[in-house]
Amino acid sequence: MSSPEIEEVQPVDDVDRGSPGPGTVAFSARGVAKSYPGVQALTGLDLDGYAGEVLAICGANGAGKSTFARLLAGQEAPSAGEIRIAGHPEPLRDPAGAERAGVLLMHQEPLVIDDFTVGENVWLYRLRAGRDIRAWSRAGRGDDERTRRALREVGLGHVPPEGPAADLAPGQRQMLALSRAGVTRHGVLILDETTASTSEEHFLRVREMVRAEQAAGTAVVFVSHRMPEVFALSDRIAVLRGGRLVATLDTARTTPDEVTTLMIGDAVRALQRPPAHRAAGRVPALAVRGLAAGSATDVSFEVAAGEVVGLYGLVGSGRSSVARAVSGQAQPRAGVVEVNGAAVRMPSPRAALRRSVAYLTEDRRREGFVADFTNAENLSLVTLSRLATAGVVRRAAERAQVDELISRFQISGGPRTPTRTLSGGNQQKVCLATWLAAEPEVIVLDEPTKGIDVGARLNIYQIVHGLSQRDKAVLVVTSEAEEALLLCHRVLVLRDGQLVAEFDSTHASTEDLMRAALAEEAA
Amino acid sequence: MTATDRAAADAVAEEQPAKRFSGALPSGAQWLRHQYPLLILVALLIFASLTSDAFLTGRNLENLVLQTSVAGIVALAQFIVVISGGIDISVGSVLGLSCVLSAGLFSGTSVLLAVVVALAVGALLGTTNGLLIAFRGLEPFIVTLGMLALGRGLVYAYTEGVPVRPAAPGFTAVGTATFAGVPVIGWIWILLAVGMAFLLRRTVFGRRVLAIGSRREAAQAAGIPVRTTLVVVYCLAGLLVGLGGFLLASRVGAATPTAGMNFELDAIAAVVIGGTRLRGGQGRVFGAVVGTVIFGVITNLLVLLNVSTFLQDAFRGALILIAVTLATLGRKKARETP
Repeated sequence: MSSPEIEEVQPVDDVDRGSPGPGTVAFSARGVAKSYPGVQALTGLDLDGYAGEVLAICGANGAGKSTFARLLAGQEAPSAGEIRIAGHPEPLRDPAGAERAGVLLMHQEPLVIDDFTVGENVWLYRLRAGRDIRAWSRAGRGDDERTRRALREVGLGHVPPEGPAADLAPGQRQMLALSRAGVTRHGVLILDETTASTSEEHFLRVREMVRAEQAAGTAVVFVSHRMPEVFALSDRIAVLRGGRLVATLDTARTTPDEVTTLMIGDAVRALQRPPAHRAAGRVPALAVRGLAAGSATDVSFEVAAGEVVGLYGLVGSGRSSVARAVSGQAQPRAGVVEVNGAAVRMPSPRAALRRSVAYLTEDRRREGFVADFTNAENLSLVTLSRLATAGVVRRAAERAQVDELISRFQISGGPRTPTRTLSGGNQQKVCLATWLAAEPEVIVLDEPTKGIDVGARLNIYQIVHGLSQRDKAVLVVTSEAEEALLLCHRVLVLRDGQLVAEFDSTHASTEDLMRAALAEEAA
Repeated sequence: MTATDRAAADAVAEEQPAKRFSGALPSGAQWLRHQYPLLILVALLIFASLTSDAFLTGRNLENLVLQTSVAGIVALAQFIVVISGGIDISVGSVLGLSCVLSAGLFSGTSVLLAVVVALAVGALLGTTNGLLIAFRGLEPFIVTLGMLALGRGLVYAYTEGVPVRPAAPGFTAVGTATFAGVPVIGWIWILLAVGMAFLLRRTVFGRRVLAIGSRREAAQAAGIPVRTTLVVVYCLAGLLVGLGGFLLASRVGAATPTAGMNFELDAIAAVVIGGTRLRGGQGRVFGAVVGTVIFGVITNLLVLLNVSTFLQDAFRGALILIAVTLATLGRKKARETP
């Protein structure tokens, strides 16, 4: 990965791209509507996709992007209207029809079977046709070379196809799922928020892959709300809001601002950087010395009260390992963690909480909140014992706290709404509020805006800036350079488990951060 | 459950819009929607009183309470374990062991001592289960399967296959006495059920158990002491089962080596029929109680109707299948109604 590639993550000029719709129509949706009980997810959608074109579908959470992706992949049938694939007489109604028509969907959460080998996972969809995918059977047909090529194309050339898929890192799993495009016949490829959980380095691979697909005449549908990626990849942008298509734009003739404005319906307020707020001359709220945990080796830094410090790096650089080790979620191999000047051992999240250290997880669905709990139950999860007398919960006290949190953090849905039914942004606000109710002094946020839309993202940023004004020490782990600069006073860059650079965010650019994260080649 | 009942319940629900808070009883209409086990029970009771004249007699109903109470207490133990995301198939053997030891140790000379022995045996075996499951990370199914065999083996070894008769004169007093027309064992069962509901819905411990059963990783990350809580859950289950063992010995007046045999199956079935989710995190104590009563009524009715013992098992099995199928129908309905 070299820096010239990074610099190309910009809208590509018109030369290699041609005007919209150079190819033939690959799919067309006419009057498509989809309703679920109590929700009208899509209304009267007319949209065409062309061969050899990348069509981005943008919209805030709940705008209907994923619904459209599911309909186009035949996973569900539209309530009204129809979607047709070129060359196929029947409109799409079910997954089998979509497979015959050559529609390939890449899910947001990669569909990888842990107990299968990497190679078997590459060929997984062949099981639908009832055909063997085991290694000896592939070798017999001479498919192994194709397996290796498909893996190479997504940057997994170094991964042995006979190894278990369970050993792959999260980003690699996503790429493994994408490798199936190399061995599966398809004319339409849908990437449904496929890049939401990957880092910038993986995005470069995705971009190469999409370019190759384009050259081969595939109609690519890229569902996302990340503007830089949308502009780096797409030819046209379809913007959805509230289940309706509000605009179809030519990427070369629009701006991220315009698209964002269309997405959220009114002008985005320019986000203020955090007010400079340094508590000089005081003992740092969090100090880390010689920390070794996970892939991190010998990391030292300090976070003062009222300061927001970013921890930026690529996947595998050790950012999450550091965050988990300083908040009792995992045990460091070596090193000292000091909270308010005293060295502490935190063998469990519970111990960390006693030291007033909170950790907001990166994996919201698994660790962030209890699936069956209502907002009220989740919001008092951390603080429940403080709301109880002799082990019996004081309901009035609980209710008061929950109501206060819901209004303070503008969480949609009442105390009785199950948290899992909320949008990603509101779920994240619930998770954050749950911890902030405990009034921690040190707050570690691991990818706080992962997979949430623009509006909620601004909300979270404001909450974090509010924490800094109230003299809390905040450590933010992020894989987005732009977020690191917007959110933090200082940004530390990790590479291969070591701190390699520190930036004052008022004087640094996203490029500085990426160069530092990507090693010497960039220099 | 008549139409007017429903209308009244609806009216109550309208009068108190969204007043309910987590942990409180749901408002009438919503409450009814989740009560399909209760509907099964009502249908069953009507059917029973129509088909058998002997069913609604006071003597038979007293008998029914006597027979279901111990099973009901075991179902409560199973309930808390299932809610925590586990399963305890050793309850029958633990009950058997505490039953024979409470009647046999110290020659069964003191009732108080017998209760203490029964509780101690239950707590000891339950805690052992809990420690292995929580701290060694073993599967609840396998651990309690081992305990099932171990417990039953000790029962046979101790009794040598012969029933144990306690010597204390007042030993059968608790098991046979009635209060306000209802057997004391029945009252004990009701009290324990109410206590369990309170524990689950109103205490920090109960909330922790629900969180662990629903999403253990989230509970861990939120600073809940997962392992300690689980040990307490299994210990609590052991205490309940131990008490059940003493009550069984007291009711029968003897401790047979087969006491508690197959109780685990009935307890699991009662809990599941009562609407508790087998993988944890969701369920109601009331459902587990109703599930037990359904089982008790079926057994009682089949005896009254002179159905052969072999067919009785088939009926009970069919009932489990019907009830859990009905449960899925109820669930789908609840989801579709916004």
